[in-house]
Amino acid sequence: MGKFEDFKTRLKIANSHSKKKLENDNENGSFMGNAFKLGSELVSAVVVGTIIGFILDSWFDTKPWLIIIFFFLGSVAGIWNVIRAANRMQKKD
Amino acid sequence: MATNPMHQFEVYRIGPEIKIAGIDLSFTNASLFMLLSALTISLVLALGTREKKIIPGKLQLISEMFYNFIAKMISDTAGSKAKPYFPFIFCLFMFVLFCNMLGMLPYSFTVTSHIIVTLIMAIFVFIAVTVIGFLKHGFGYLKLFVPSGVPIILLPLITVIEIISYLSRPVSLSVRLFANMMAGHTMLKVFGGFVVSLGVLGGWLPLSFSVALTGLEILVAFLQAYVFAILTCIYLNDALNLQH
Repeated sequence: MGKFEDFKTRLKIANSHSKKKLENDNENGSFMGNAFKLGSELVSAVVVGTIIGFILDSWFDTKPWLIIIFFFLGSVAGIWNVIRAANRMQKKD
Repeated sequence: MATNPMHQFEVYRIGPEIKIAGIDLSFTNASLFMLLSALTISLVLALGTREKKIIPGKLQLISEMFYNFIAKMISDTAGSKAKPYFPFIFCLFMFVLFCNMLGMLPYSFTVTSHIIVTLIMAIFVFIAVTVIGFLKHGFGYLKLFVPSGVPIILLPLITVIEIISYLSRPVSLSVRLFANMMAGHTMLKVFGGFVVSLGVLGGWLPLSFSVALTGLEILVAFLQAYVFAILTCIYLNDALNLQH
């Protein structure tokens, strides 16, 4: 029985250690992950906006106006995405 | 002697050519490495969970770590409602992770460095999340595009911007993974080529760079799998708990 109790306390100590370490690791990982995330979020919205503008332009025969408008809308969407992602990060901390 | 750094991304056929209804379905090196990673995952998890000990062995520890990691990530980002989707996100994470990691072995092929592979996964996630959103909320899911508290004059503009940002999700998801893997592997090959062309005298500097980059690439391989999974969770969260 004594041996089991001994094991229990050792498990508890090990658990608390690993928990602390895991939290640190997680913080680090998501920090790097977020950094990778933000850049592509900004670019992809611009690309998608421009593609939508291009498609609509060829549908309605309004070259080049819609592609210009949708490029700027895409840029706004990209910045909006980044702001939202940053807000989410701050809320988590 | 120095080979083309893009040569490693070449897809070639293994075995006979299979054509069904005009579509090329031959077994390629990409299929081989997808199969290999699926088999490796099954093997690691099956062997790891074969003996359920209180004090786990190495393989059991690894499998439990994977499980805990994903379970914690899902409950942190998407809440308890996302529990039924655990198997899907776990599969996604493990597949991306093992494809990336197998790609780090010399002479292997990195499946995730091809945009068609990552794009298909991202589009699948995108469609699945959209369908789940409509199933859970009906047409109320469209409220995602109409944020509350916006003046009526700005509403059409905001809606268009929201739709663009929604459509950009699969693009950013797939391009990020593909670009990171491809850039990293190209860089490794370029530095490897420098080592060969500079020879014994000057080759040590690029060689040390190459070693450092390999470490960085392993980190990136893990991080990209993690980011892919966590973004899926975030999108799932948007679909399950509609709040803007």
